[in-house]
Amino acid sequence: MKARVLYHLVRADFLERVRRYNFLVTLAFAVYLGYCAATGKIVVRLDEYRGVFNSAWVGCAMTLVASLFLSLIGFYIVKGSIERDQETRVGHILATTPMTKSFYTVAKMISNFAVLASMVGVIAVAAVAMQFLKAEDPHVHLWPLLSPFVLFALPSVAFTGAVAILFESIPGLRGGIGNVVYFFLWTALLAVPISSIDAAGRLNAGNYFSDFNGTVSIMGQMQEDLRAVAPDYSHGSSLTIGDTKTTKTFLWNGLHPTPTLYLSRITTLLVAVIIALIAAVFFHRFDPAQEWSLNKSRRAPPATATPATANGFANAPPQAAAALASSAHLTPLPKSKSSPFVLSRTIAAELKLMLKGHRWWWYAVAAGLFIASIASPVDASRGGVAVVALLWPILVWSQMGTREARFNTASLIFSSQRSLVRQLPAVWIAGLIVAAATNGGLAIRLLIAHDRPALAAWLACTLFIPSLALALGIWSGTSKVFEAIYTVWWYIGPAHHLPGLDFLGTSPESAEPTRYLIMGAVLLAAAYAGRRSKLAYA
Amino acid sequence: MNLSIQHVSKQYRGNVWALRDFTLDLRPGVLGLLGPNGAGKTTLMSILSTITRTTQGRVLWNDIDLARNPDAIRSVLGYLPQDFGVYPNLNAVEFLEYLAAVKGLDAATSRRRIDELLNLVNLNDVRKRPLGGYSGGMKQRIGIAQALLNDPQLLIVDEPTAGLDPEERVRFRNLLSELSGERVVILSTHIVSDVEATATDIALISGGTLVAHAAPEKLLQQVEGKVWEGVVPSNELQSIKQQYLISGTARRADGVHVRMLAPSAPSGAQPLAPTLEDAYLYCLNTHRVGAAA
Repeated sequence: MKARVLYHLVRADFLERVRRYNFLVTLAFAVYLGYCAATGKIVVRLDEYRGVFNSAWVGCAMTLVASLFLSLIGFYIVKGSIERDQETRVGHILATTPMTKSFYTVAKMISNFAVLASMVGVIAVAAVAMQFLKAEDPHVHLWPLLSPFVLFALPSVAFTGAVAILFESIPGLRGGIGNVVYFFLWTALLAVPISSIDAAGRLNAGNYFSDFNGTVSIMGQMQEDLRAVAPDYSHGSSLTIGDTKTTKTFLWNGLHPTPTLYLSRITTLLVAVIIALIAAVFFHRFDPAQEWSLNKSRRAPPATATPATANGFANAPPQAAAALASSAHLTPLPKSKSSPFVLSRTIAAELKLMLKGHRWWWYAVAAGLFIASIASPVDASRGGVAVVALLWPILVWSQMGTREARFNTASLIFSSQRSLVRQLPAVWIAGLIVAAATNGGLAIRLLIAHDRPALAAWLACTLFIPSLALALGIWSGTSKVFEAIYTVWWYIGPAHHLPGLDFLGTSPESAEPTRYLIMGAVLLAAAYAGRRSKLAYA
Repeated sequence: MNLSIQHVSKQYRGNVWALRDFTLDLRPGVLGLLGPNGAGKTTLMSILSTITRTTQGRVLWNDIDLARNPDAIRSVLGYLPQDFGVYPNLNAVEFLEYLAAVKGLDAATSRRRIDELLNLVNLNDVRKRPLGGYSGGMKQRIGIAQALLNDPQLLIVDEPTAGLDPEERVRFRNLLSELSGERVVILSTHIVSDVEATATDIALISGGTLVAHAAPEKLLQQVEGKVWEGVVPSNELQSIKQQYLISGTARRADGVHVRMLAPSAPSGAQPLAPTLEDAYLYCLNTHRVGAAA
């Protein structure tokens, strides 16, 4: 009986997701990943070596692509299943059934797994195509080709799906903070098995068991086998995008299936289930009292407030009966002319809306970063404090362009006069003000130092971020996309000073203000076009 | 002041027509838009509020085509959608201030107006409470307040009394009647008593087409002499339902009192004064029978 309930719960949730437009987008992304790997745009490299494209190599290489990308991006794809039940009110119906909290979270985990597994399936099909396309080994062996997907990619996405449920269940991690935190958790989880590899590069049981997505297990075995046949090979291994030139190949016959390997993968699956069960401890079971408990202390109305009736309506005061009998009346508004202050008022309103709801410590940290940016030496400010200051307002920017959809206010705002040319620019300018204010300490420091090139890079960055946020928000309709992309971009670019991706220009070598000014303008145009396409009339 | 809906049709994906060749001319007053679920009322509201485009036909506001100049209607529009949200971290004043800015109202005017509106919708006592803590009825009243922010000449309200308690419903009806003198008000609802209390005109819509457009008195005239009440045993109720159009039943000690619509008196039935609900059911039924034939 329970299995039947579980099946229907998972089935309904899965069907609801796969019939949404954004599932097609995510599936297209999986196809694109498969295409990139099949055409050599993403390649597994062991220094200058790669394996001959036989079934074993192709299967493992494609599994690495699936595991690595889907364990990161998959989280953002599947996170939101509990929120959906909340928004659609289906959760309230489920809450009235005998279903336990743990049953629900495990069902949601399985549903997340099913969605991500379908993407793994697409990449697996691409793996078969890749072997034919490369034509280095015409013999397709299904077990070596597909078993890595089963052994590594599927447990990896099960783990990701479970973490997504855990994050959705914990109040502090449910929103944008969780989206940012997951990226750092993911990088930390990747680093754990690497850190315990011995000096000779041999894998031990600890590496296998701590390797949630299989990257180290697969690459470690590839490296061990290459070392045995190629003495000139040192220790390098990477999954490379773009720079895919390799000069040497070697024949790799596939994974060495050991009990440790199998046991480690089963453990990953078990850990996923345990995480889903832990999520049940935090899951609110759609109880609005629990939902609001965090905010109630500061939101509670004063004791003297008008008491509410059983259905929550405020009791009318005694004089209300008289008011009821008398006619309702509104003072007619004077005919107002178009005022130049209308835009500034809209900007102020948008800014207030953006910043409302943050606690005092959010402003305290922002102020601290601002002061630290001014007080630090130029290099430390530009490459350190300012980089942190760039991440701090991420949840403010991620609201841009998504708020109307998230809070269902689109019909109120889009039916207003000149919303495209007034409200949209106001949102962008408000985001710009947040960027300039939170990272303004660096600008002052650069002005003091008369560092004009760096100031130009700061300006480009300040224009670029709200443009990126607005464009991604409008086109995706969700804050998750900006939160995920911006966090990764910030980590690779400004935090690691990588030329090409360093939008702040944390060093003279990586600063490219012109590029980011142009990108900002293009993104702004994209935001305008996106919003325009959503309005019946511009 | 004139709103002219001319041969408007709206097609959704999957060859679903929500509106077909809908024509209506409106002048100041309250138009009660009545129709069953899925009749096309909300689609019509969305078109008039510039949220969605027509597939065919056009809408003119004071002879200005909405498709050519949507801002002509937006500048005078107050719109309360059937389903809308609020920003939970803002309180009532902040939320209305935000929408006033978006609608282009100046600061002094919007402050005055917001005070007046919060009094009007009886939310003055909770004006500083975040909207996230409001009940459904309170949010609905905020929706009513925002629709009136810019003193609209065209007020479109879609199911405005949904979730309101009886007292607030009466208050809102009074407000609509008061406002109707100098503006076009379109009230879309399932609740016939709301229309009965406020509408100067009624439009009946079914299957995306206009079934009737007349003053309430005219509609009532159509069912004059066709409404009856009879008392039947419980076990005969099903057979009565198959013979007549039933607009109400009430169980009493002497049997079931059945309110029926019929051209001539059913056996033992007494004549009754018709209500708008009788007229609504009669018109819809006549339309359905005609369409089926």
